[in-house]
Amino acid sequence: MPTTVSLDGLSVRFGRKEAVTNLSLKVESGRCHALLGRNGSGKTTTMKALLGLVRPDAGRVSLFGLDPDAHEAEVKSRLAWVPDSPAFYPWMTVRNVLEHTATMRTSWRLDVEEHLIARFGLDLNAPTASLSKGQKTQLALTCAVAADPELLVLDEPTTGLDPLVRRQFLEAVIGTFQDRQPERKTIVVSTHLIAEFEGIIDDFTVLSAGKVVLSSDADEARQRYCRLRGWFEQAPPELTLPTVRPSKREGRLLEFVVDQRPDEARAWLHHAGASRIELTPLSLEEIFVCAAA
Amino acid sequence: MRWIIDYQTGVPLYLQLIAQVKSAVATGTLRAGDQLPSVRAMAEELRVNRNTVAKAWADLEAEGVITNRQGLGCFVTEKVTPLRKAVRNERLALALDQVIVQAHHLQVSDDTLRALLDERLEHFQQTRNAQGD
Repeated sequence: MPTTVSLDGLSVRFGRKEAVTNLSLKVESGRCHALLGRNGSGKTTTMKALLGLVRPDAGRVSLFGLDPDAHEAEVKSRLAWVPDSPAFYPWMTVRNVLEHTATMRTSWRLDVEEHLIARFGLDLNAPTASLSKGQKTQLALTCAVAADPELLVLDEPTTGLDPLVRRQFLEAVIGTFQDRQPERKTIVVSTHLIAEFEGIIDDFTVLSAGKVVLSSDADEARQRYCRLRGWFEQAPPELTLPTVRPSKREGRLLEFVVDQRPDEARAWLHHAGASRIELTPLSLEEIFVCAAA
Repeated sequence: MRWIIDYQTGVPLYLQLIAQVKSAVATGTLRAGDQLPSVRAMAEELRVNRNTVAKAWADLEAEGVITNRQGLGCFVTEKVTPLRKAVRNERLALALDQVIVQAHHLQVSDDTLRALLDERLEHFQQTRNAQGD
């Protein structure tokens, strides 16, 4: 599969502070890659470097196999971005924004624009100053998707929106952005609302203090990460397995999380004499908490 | 039919979809000739990646469970496939697993469990015979 996004050894400094250190990641065409991290972990800086809004101090960004500096026009025509707080000229109406954006893009799908405006129930004559945060995000998404990009970059897109708007947002991304040639429609999303995006995330990268602490296929991670609980007749024995989180012991209970071969961990508990064993695979959100802690 | 994705089973999403279609066919919830939702509709409803649904449908087609009629959609295959039996066995294995776990906790030995299974099978056979069919 062709690589849509490639960040190679990226470092970004702000004054003395290094926001991102030697970060590398690849996003294959047609995949949805989530960038996860706590506030200040370097997610936004990484997104900005990807979009060419921040110049890295070291490393290389490559989009669609091209150097974005040398092929700026082509790269920009193939990607679209929805920021966390979209801003428009307040005196423009919704129609003005759409027309203005359309003139700046090399391709524009009027059918997509009309479909999304109708679906979101946006008033074409409303001045953007009168739009709610949810409506501004809907308008930004309409502008991004109507440009028919191959790469859609979503930066905390649904934070602060009500559940219905968040749901519509995601449905529009799945239903409309991925509508034609889904194998070429790539998404990079940074979000705190992991559970909400879990279904569309194919791969993810967890950042902590500007470094990659975990990068994996989502299905694979859900198969590898498990919480195990063992109940013993007496005090639990010493744990001799590599675990990702400090184990917890409460009376006769021993609890821990493994990031590989959960069956071996279950067997270990069995041999150690646990009378009852519980194995629970983790969701992405829990995996994130383990990795980012 | 109601579709469910569970993110806490450790089972890849496309395999969850495959398992649900197979089990619906095996239990008769989906019958030969029934149409599956389109990839788009399914992905939007479950809010999963379209590629995930597409992969599940493609695998089901390769296994002969469904047929993709170009431009019309995906339909449950007409012929009775050997998969029905396999799926039934799979379901049964799951139920048996629970019985085995129960037996373990009740400290019932494997031999006793086997004997008990035979006894129950015999009992059901007799009940059926008594009803004359």
